[in-house]
Amino acid sequence: MARDLLMALTIALLLGAAAFFAARMLPLVRVMRRARPTSRLDHWPRRLGFMAGQVLAHKRLLQMKMSGVLHFFIFSGFVILFIDIVDAVGQVFAPGFNIGPALDCVVDIFVALVLIGIVLAVYQRAVLKPERYHGSDERDGYVILGMIAVIMIGIILHESFYPFAAPLLFHVRPGLDPWGFLGYALARVWMATGLAAHPAIAETGYITGYILDIGMVFAFLAYLPTSKHLHIFLAVPSIFLHKTRPHGELVEPLPPEEGMAIRSVADMNWKDVMDLFTCTECGRCQAVCPAHASGQRLSPKMVIIELRDAVRRELAGEPPVPLAGGVVSAEELWACTTCGACQEACPVFIEHVPKIAGLRAALLEDGEIDKSAQKVLVGWDRQGNSFGQPVRKRPAWAKGLDVPIKDARKEPVDWLWFVGDFASYEPRVQNLSRLVARLLQQAGVDFGILYEGEVNSGNDALRMGEYGLFETLAQKNLAMLEKAQFNQIFTTDPHSFNALRNEYRKLGFERPVRHYTQAFLDLIEEGKLNPSPLNLKVTYHDPCYLGRWNRVFDAPRQLLERMGIELVEMPRHGANSFCCGAGGGRIWMEENGVSDRPANIRIREALSLEDVNYFVVACPKDMSMFSAAVQSTNGEERMKVIDVAELLAQAVGLNEPVETAAAT
Amino acid sequence: MRVAVLLKAVPDLVEELVLDEESGSLQYDEMSYVPSEWDDQALEEALILKEESGAQVTAIAVSTGDVDTMLFTALAKGADHVVKITGDFDASMSNWQQARVLSDYVREQDFDMVLSGVQAIDDVDGQIPGLVAGFLNWPHASVVTEVRMGGDSKVLLRQEYSGGLVAEIEVESPVVIGVQAARKPPRYASVAKVRQVAKSVAIEEVSAGAPAGPAFADIQFVRPVAAGRAEMIEGDVDAVADRIVQILADHNLLRRA
Amino acid sequence: MGPILIVTESTASGITDSTKECVGKAKELAKVLGTSTVALGFGPGAVDRLRRLDVNKVIAAEDGEFAVYNPAVCENALVQVVAETAPFLTMIPNTTMGLDLGAGLAGRNNIPLIAYCSDLQEQDGKITAVSQVFAGKLLARVPVPGDGAIVTVLPGSWPTGEETGDPVVETISGDYSSRMRVIRVIEPEKGDVDITKADILVSVGRGIESPDNLPLADELAEAMGGVVSCSRPVVDAGWLPKARQVGKSGQTVKPKLYLACGISGAPEHLQGMRDADLIIAVNTDEEASIMEAAHFGTTVDMLDLMPALAERLRGG
Repeated sequence: MARDLLMALTIALLLGAAAFFAARMLPLVRVMRRARPTSRLDHWPRRLGFMAGQVLAHKRLLQMKMSGVLHFFIFSGFVILFIDIVDAVGQVFAPGFNIGPALDCVVDIFVALVLIGIVLAVYQRAVLKPERYHGSDERDGYVILGMIAVIMIGIILHESFYPFAAPLLFHVRPGLDPWGFLGYALARVWMATGLAAHPAIAETGYITGYILDIGMVFAFLAYLPTSKHLHIFLAVPSIFLHKTRPHGELVEPLPPEEGMAIRSVADMNWKDVMDLFTCTECGRCQAVCPAHASGQRLSPKMVIIELRDAVRRELAGEPPVPLAGGVVSAEELWACTTCGACQEACPVFIEHVPKIAGLRAALLEDGEIDKSAQKVLVGWDRQGNSFGQPVRKRPAWAKGLDVPIKDARKEPVDWLWFVGDFASYEPRVQNLSRLVARLLQQAGVDFGILYEGEVNSGNDALRMGEYGLFETLAQKNLAMLEKAQFNQIFTTDPHSFNALRNEYRKLGFERPVRHYTQAFLDLIEEGKLNPSPLNLKVTYHDPCYLGRWNRVFDAPRQLLERMGIELVEMPRHGANSFCCGAGGGRIWMEENGVSDRPANIRIREALSLEDVNYFVVACPKDMSMFSAAVQSTNGEERMKVIDVAELLAQAVGLNEPVETAAAT
Repeated sequence: MRVAVLLKAVPDLVEELVLDEESGSLQYDEMSYVPSEWDDQALEEALILKEESGAQVTAIAVSTGDVDTMLFTALAKGADHVVKITGDFDASMSNWQQARVLSDYVREQDFDMVLSGVQAIDDVDGQIPGLVAGFLNWPHASVVTEVRMGGDSKVLLRQEYSGGLVAEIEVESPVVIGVQAARKPPRYASVAKVRQVAKSVAIEEVSAGAPAGPAFADIQFVRPVAAGRAEMIEGDVDAVADRIVQILADHNLLRRA
Repeated sequence: MGPILIVTESTASGITDSTKECVGKAKELAKVLGTSTVALGFGPGAVDRLRRLDVNKVIAAEDGEFAVYNPAVCENALVQVVAETAPFLTMIPNTTMGLDLGAGLAGRNNIPLIAYCSDLQEQDGKITAVSQVFAGKLLARVPVPGDGAIVTVLPGSWPTGEETGDPVVETISGDYSSRMRVIRVIEPEKGDVDITKADILVSVGRGIESPDNLPLADELAEAMGGVVSCSRPVVDAGWLPKARQVGKSGQTVKPKLYLACGISGAPEHLQGMRDADLIIAVNTDEEASIMEAAHFGTTVDMLDLMPALAERLRGG
């Protein structure tokens, strides 16, 4: 009788929870179906492998030790939970069912781990209170932890009463099972206290435990779709469906009729929508965001949460609010440097930057943009550079050279150098450009530039949401590149590097592109440049668009090594490098709400290294940003910002030894 | 309320002004052109008016060259309608002639207000709004920094004078206004939006004959002789700063502690 | 040949310098051309203000409708005066009034206009107007047609004429009314500082790039014992109050030192500061018009120079 009831209850709960789950999930699926297409099912073997590494081995999650470990405990518990469900339900439906002592033991081990994980998680939330949780739904977090704890307790509880209740309920007589050591220990307690002897207590204890376990599992299922813990279902598919197109490509090729602007949910692609519901509000993105660190209102996490909540409100029948400028404020959107640190940190591989850029595009369509940045956009359109300078002055930097640089539009060259705006127009960086030219000349490289034919690569325009302008600029460059005869192309500017390498593909350009650190390294390997050891101790800043977005970490480091330079890494380096604050058009915008510039934060990070007096950069914008930051942090005495080309020039005897920047 | 905004393109001063030094004539075909920045201000103020009180904004340009992008940009920013006046015109067309053509068009239409940039970098023979007002015999105010709707077809203006003096003016329409600056900086029109507009909306073309009227027979342009040119201080920042301190000392301008 | 008509302009402190400049030039030209000079003035007290001008005749419109400057009313009066006196040249200072009246008169009376005139040169009885266009990058030499023209004259074009004349005075009255009405005239807000009284001005233009850089200018001004002023774009962007603006629509200043940082030097700006005793211009563009007006110039980055200079002056 009681068994029949339990069976009926189990089935009812299962059906109820499943129906409830489906009813709450269906609208989300419908939203995703309304969204734009994106192809995420190609390369599936690679995707599977990637998923295994991230899901089973917790590769990214474990980058934060405590959180990673506690997540691993809880996550493993969930996997094991399925064994328990089979066990518990099996006992009810097939009297005498047993999954075997080994699995019993495993279940109990993981129950213990989960409980430890929960204690750690509560400790982290309540005591440590990391800043990254700021803005997250804390209540939801505790509810979920509570539910999991209840399930765990339920498991042990019904397990402990099973030997005493089974004869009454299922007419089988299982013995005590020491392998399920937690239940066994508790059963001993029941026996010692005599509770086990009372049939009513044994029955009640078992049924209570069963309902706490299985009932809560179903309740959990029903609760999930409106919780951030939907990631339990979505994280794994999300990781499988991660972006496999070139990492540095911001937007996929767009159909000619569609812009990149995200005005409503339907303007996102379905994976973007899925991302919103996959977010667990863990805040790892917020913790690494340079805009957030500088005191601005942007948090990548909040952008995702705000968008998700807006979708929820729309599903609840509320009138839609414009996403750009409404749901996510213009202030937040324009604060982004598009450095990509958020995406690098996200354990479920949410792509924040394309969403922000799409929302920016919507703002831009309404004419809403910082006025200084607007001038830059107009300047790109008219003169092709961000300096408001005449086209004819682009190659002016090359004038002071002893040996003139070839015009790649007029004669074939081996190497084509895409110079970029800053290296062409910014006076300080112009010196570096001349130095690079002299280094190439010393190495006997046959190279040329496009002179007035080059325009800005469009990388930043695209990231400011100006797809049309990006296209215009790219097409101008491509027309020149088509005419020019060259064997390879290299650039001194990581932003141009990214555009040429990743963004120009959609316009049909697929020639390999190198950054000058890679090119110089090759010249050394080929024996064309022979640096003598400099015996310096330096730190190196990975430019976002060289490192994170294009995974060029080694070439600059090897180059330093070849110059006999000792590299001391900053705490944040490689893929975790901390943006200078200039990217995504930020360099031209007003610094509203900036209480501490990212570049200053970064320089202080470098200043904390002992005996390091050189801050090596490999990006013209970094040169500008960090030179200013060294001044404003009063670090001039201790730290000199130096381009990798300056070091190389010195190592090959082209330049005076770098002035000893500092007394330590 | 129907508002006309008169737009024109002027040589881009960022690039070089191409001058045949011998004849003193500008090589109009060899220069690049941009919308006159004051016209941008006039358009912005008109669009603000539209947002505030539902004015209907028509942007008008004389086809002295490629003015299509300028007109599509006006549409992308929010103008309701654009008109291009075509004829046997080119970039050397004088302001006087443009104003003639524009005023002829405006007269036939039913505009309550005409806004245009108070000046342009190239108006040797007069500013467009003043000339148009004169040809139409409408009241006109220049150096205006704010245009609002009053009651009963009245328009409220703020006019600026030197020394920072400001007048509040009320005028019954129709009126011509030379805009110095809009209340807000001109908005941005994204390339994509301009393209999209260019695909979906047509420019109304109106043809006009060559206008008569006074034109100066022979204007010669010369580059100003650098008579009182500054003495350039050379060197890096430190050298320059040192030299300036020296100059200040020589002029007795150093503050005594 | 008709007379040379000067449309005069006055402020609270009397007839403006640019009016006096026109009067001086008109007299010189009238002498060579063998014609007379007429000055037209608006507003109450015009007769008293103009009666010492060195012209042959003064026409004053003093009626109630001229109580405050009203562009349309003044234009109506001017149109009539020009129709009646048929001047060979009509000279109007290129201020707001000049922009109001010049082109309007040209259009209504069908008389050619030469704008932004910075000089009138006579040769063999023919007059050539020199007009400053393209933000001062070019001068246009425009032959004044035989039937005459209107010229709007940039302030600072000539030395001011003396007030030693004894003209015939005529007042006019009539219906010059218009649909335009001046509701009120607002005095400029006296800002925190009066830049017209400062001996040293650190003046910033577009080159300041962002309001975040303004502290650099403040610090430099403080170190120099001066105050910060600016050009129009800085005010338009809302970065500094209107009271700090130097130029045509701002203040006219005559400090001992004018340090122009990142100011290109549009004619409208030069108009407000060209009489400073010492002008030092900082602008990355060596070709910028400000270099024409400045005594010293440099092309280093103002954002680097300002702190460097402040440091030296503070360190003292």
